[in-house]
Formats: sequence, structure tokens, C-alpha cells
Amino acid sequence: MSIQLVVSKQNRDGGWPYVQGSSRTEPTVYAILALLASNELETAQRGIAWLRAAQLPDGGWPPQAEFDESTWVTALVALIPVEHLGAPAHARAIRWLVGTVGEESTATYRVRQWLLGGTQSPEHEFPGWPWIPGAAAWVGPTSLAIVALEKELARRPTDAVRRRIEEGHRFLMRRMCLNGGWNHGSVRALGYESSPYPETTGMALTALRGVRGRGIDQSLDVAVRFLGECRSADAMNWLRVGLLAHGRLPEGYSPSPLVCRTLPEASLDMLVAGSSHRGANYFWG
Amino acid sequence: MAGLTRRELLTATAGTALLAGCGAEVRKPAPAARVSIVKAPAYDQSVYDRMRRLLSEHLGDVKGRNILLKPNLVEFEPQSSINTHPMLVHAAYEAFRAMGAASVRIAEGPGHRRNTLDLAEAAGYFKTVPDFENSFVDLNLDEVTHVKPAVQFSRIKKLYLPNSALGADLLVSMAKMKTHHWVGATLSMKNLFGVVPSGIYGWPKNVLHWAGIDESIADLHAAFPHHFAIVDGIVGMEGNGPIQGTPKPAGILVAGSDPVAVDATCCRIMKIDPMQVRYLQLAMQRSPVAQLAEANIVQTGEAIASVATPFELLPLFQKLRLGTA
Repeated sequence: MSIQLVVSKQNRDGGWPYVQGSSRTEPTVYAILALLASNELETAQRGIAWLRAAQLPDGGWPPQAEFDESTWVTALVALIPVEHLGAPAHARAIRWLVGTVGEESTATYRVRQWLLGGTQSPEHEFPGWPWIPGAAAWVGPTSLAIVALEKELARRPTDAVRRRIEEGHRFLMRRMCLNGGWNHGSVRALGYESSPYPETTGMALTALRGVRGRGIDQSLDVAVRFLGECRSADAMNWLRVGLLAHGRLPEGYSPSPLVCRTLPEASLDMLVAGSSHRGANYFWG
Repeated sequence: MAGLTRRELLTATAGTALLAGCGAEVRKPAPAARVSIVKAPAYDQSVYDRMRRLLSEHLGDVKGRNILLKPNLVEFEPQSSINTHPMLVHAAYEAFRAMGAASVRIAEGPGHRRNTLDLAEAAGYFKTVPDFENSFVDLNLDEVTHVKPAVQFSRIKKLYLPNSALGADLLVSMAKMKTHHWVGATLSMKNLFGVVPSGIYGWPKNVLHWAGIDESIADLHAAFPHHFAIVDGIVGMEGNGPIQGTPKPAGILVAGSDPVAVDATCCRIMKIDPMQVRYLQLAMQRSPVAQLAEANIVQTGEAIASVATPFELLPLFQKLRLGTA
């Protein structure tokens, strides 16, 4: 998909759909990032106006207009450079992210568990981020929130942001699969080991940029192996971003042709394609 | 009080309150449900004829109706028994078209993997169903409507469901016969988790676990009263289902218009006691027509006893084994 096709897919309201239909937050963010990377500023600004109008009073974003709660897509919006999104909207998004944890880390849940005689799972020691408030934290939304907060830390460091990033890193390290890589959730369920997925492995590696250790090395090996057997553009995109974050994308790597079926897949592919992978900078500033 | 844990104390207190406050609700008698069990030893061409006869027998005239087939698509493994077999879905697709349905679409919203079409391709759907991409709706990304079920069992605050599923004249749940590590068995009713849009709730749809898995299954059953059930038991899954279990050939298809009765029949075939499966009990409580008791289900085709085969259960679910109560 070319950038002109991204331009042509824009809805009249300024947002983008996944494939067709009403505007949604996730494809709109990825389209904006791809447009900014291609210097298509005017089209991107119309998308940003749609996003600004969709921000909820609590500072977060819903996945689509019909839904009135802030969710994980807030982390994606916070990836848009502050000079484009606008400082007030961005600051409120960061506040929402800093204040959001998986339900298992809330005081209410922990008191209830104590009353019921339950013991805390080691996986629940460090708070991560949920897809939607009121549910548990998962690898995908936690990774995206960390990436957004890392960018904020580089721009405007605060203790609260630093603390949440550190907790998020620990959350991810606890959930690394036995031989490296990440499933979307637990390391094991009912005693059975979980297998890593390519897309979540790529996302977690992106969030753990700058972190070193044996587990990271194992996970990078898993990601390189996944690159050779990947069957989805989304997974291929995230594996490339994750490996780029650690300087481990094989030199001259050219992905096998996979169909980009949605606008986020096509936009992310544009961001990481090319020899310079310049667009990937939107993930770490 | 020595020896009582906090959990036991709270459970005992809650149980006493429940017994004191609630009388059992007596449901008006409903007509018997009809469930067919059809032998189908393999995924081969004979499946097409069996499916056509099964649907004609149960549904009669579907002319002008909009049909939505909802398979169970979970993982990228064509050789495993995780997903509903694509040939079975194609057989239903062809049968409904031949019966004069106005439209037949295939729809799913996988709960684990975001890349729905890639998953469908890897699971063999593109190869088996001609023009699959144009017949398919990704329910995770569909337009949604806020739904307030007439009966709500779960703690979910806001239930949003995809318009493609809500707008269908007939939703056909095409489940796989599998054990399930949280609720015992996953059949046609649990398969409806796939209509809950991950685009709203995430991958997985963990909000349903927090709202109560059994209760959420019962909510979805109440939200889709016009729901026909087909269960793919040609090769099911036993043990640590619904993903990490082992294939279990049962050589059957089970179908009917009452999903509670279909799932109860599947349980009996798997040697699981349906009376101990909580979501079946919940759905039964408030539905004016659902049937759970074997005596209220008219069986056509094979008899349960002639096809029953015990599905291996995790230790946690041994209590569900038929005959152990």
C-alpha cells in the first residue's frame, strides 16, 4: 500500500477505518504516523483534529465513537509527537496512562483477595496495563503504554512516569515465556507452559528497548526465528520494530511478501520498511 | 471457628444468606427440544450431504433469510483440532445457499490473535471456501451497538455487540467439541464469546472473565435467542482444551435449535454431566424454552449411548464426570 492509498482511505470526518466503515482510533493513529513520516502534513492534521475531538474527559481515548470509555488505544495516541497532537491533549493522555493499572493491581482487588484467603500470584506483583479498565493487565497494552511513557520520559521526565516504566518492565520480564518471547498473558496456565506469539514478542521487545540480559537475548533469538516463519503482516511488523529496538534486525533483511489486510498493518509496514527504517523512530523518539 | 479460613467463613455466610433469601424459581413447562446426532467419520465430501440433510430437517424454509455462520477460530494450526474444520463451514455455507437464504456470511472475532484473516488463511478457510474474504466479517472490528440483555447474569457494565451478528436473521454457532480449562466444556454457547468485539474489549476478551465466564456465556445466550447450534465433533479436543488439549475423534455432528439442549447432549456424549456445568444451569434458569434434562430432549439420528466416548478431563473437572455426582 502506498501513502497515497492511505490518503485515499481517509473518511470525511478526518479519521480512518480498519478496512472500511466508520473511523476508529487505532487505524487513525497509525495512518497519522505514516503520513507524518511521509511529510503529508495536511492530511495528518485532519486526522489529528478527529483524534482531539474524540478525547474523553478523563484524558483517554475510546476505540471508537460508539464506546464511551478510555482504553488501551490511549497509549497509541500518546505516540503522536506532542508538537502535532498538542501539549494539553498529550499531557492528559499521559496522566491517564500513569493512573491506569490492571484490575488485579487495584487496592480493591487486593483487599478482596486477602479477605478470601487468596495468595498473590508472582505475576501480579508489578502492575501493567489492561486493554480496558476493569480487566487484568496483558502484554500487548502494557508494551504500548511503556513505549508511550518512554517517549514522555525523554521529553519531560517525572518520577511517576519513571516508576510506571520500571514497573512495566518488571511486569514484562515476569511474563517472559520459559525459553524467551511472550504470549499475550501468563507464562503458564494451570501448570501448562504458554508458547510465545510473534506479535506480542515484537511488542514486548520494543517496550524493553535498552534492557539487557539473558532473557532478552533468548527473546531476540525467538524473534529472529519467528521472522522466518511468520504468517501475518501485523506480526512481521512488530517483530521488525522489536528487533530494530535492540539493533538486531538482520542486515539487509527483506520480509517475505505478506498481505497487509488492515490500515494499521499497512501503515506500520510503511513505518518500518526501507533501508533506514526512519519511521520506527516514532516508537522511541 | 478454629480451622475455618476467611474464604470458608465468607462462603458459608453468603450461602446461608442465599438460602434464607431466595426461593427456587419454578419455570413453566416448555416443549421438548429436538437434537440430532449424525455420524460423520471424517472430514470428506460426505459432510456436504450430511449437513444439507441436517439443516433441512431442522430449519425447513430459510428463503430470504440472512444467515451468519460463526465458527470457532482460535489458532494458526490447520492440523490440530482447535478450530472448527473449514470443510464443515463450507458445507453449511453451500447448504444455506442451496436452501434459498438471501445471504450467507461467515463471521468470527478470535479472542487470542488479532490477525483474524491471517488466522483463517492458516486454518485452511481460504483454500476451502471460495471467495472466502468477501464472505467473511471480522467481528472484532465490526460496527457495534450497546446491548442490554433482557436477562443479565454477569457483572459486565456495558455489553457492546457487533451489528453483523445482531442484524442476522439466524446466527448459526458452529462450535468445536472441546473440553475447556475454565468451564469444563466449550460447545455452541461458549462459542458465542467470539461475537464479543475485541476491538472494544481487547485480546483476549478478559473483561468477560472478570464479569464471570459462566455468567457471560448465559448473557450471550440470552442476547441471541435466534441461534442455531452445530457442534463439530468429528474430531474434538480433550484434556487441557480449548487450545493445548489433544485431538479426540468422536465421529459425530450434533445440531439443534435449542443451544442448551445441543450442548447438554454433547456433554452426555463426552461423558460430562451437563447438570454440573454452571453456564448450562444459568441459561436454563431464565430461558422460557431451553431444555437441559435428557427426558425433555427428543433425540434424532444416533442414540447418545451408541456414540458416547469419554473426553479426558483435567483433574479440576473430574467432578463433572457423568455418574460421579
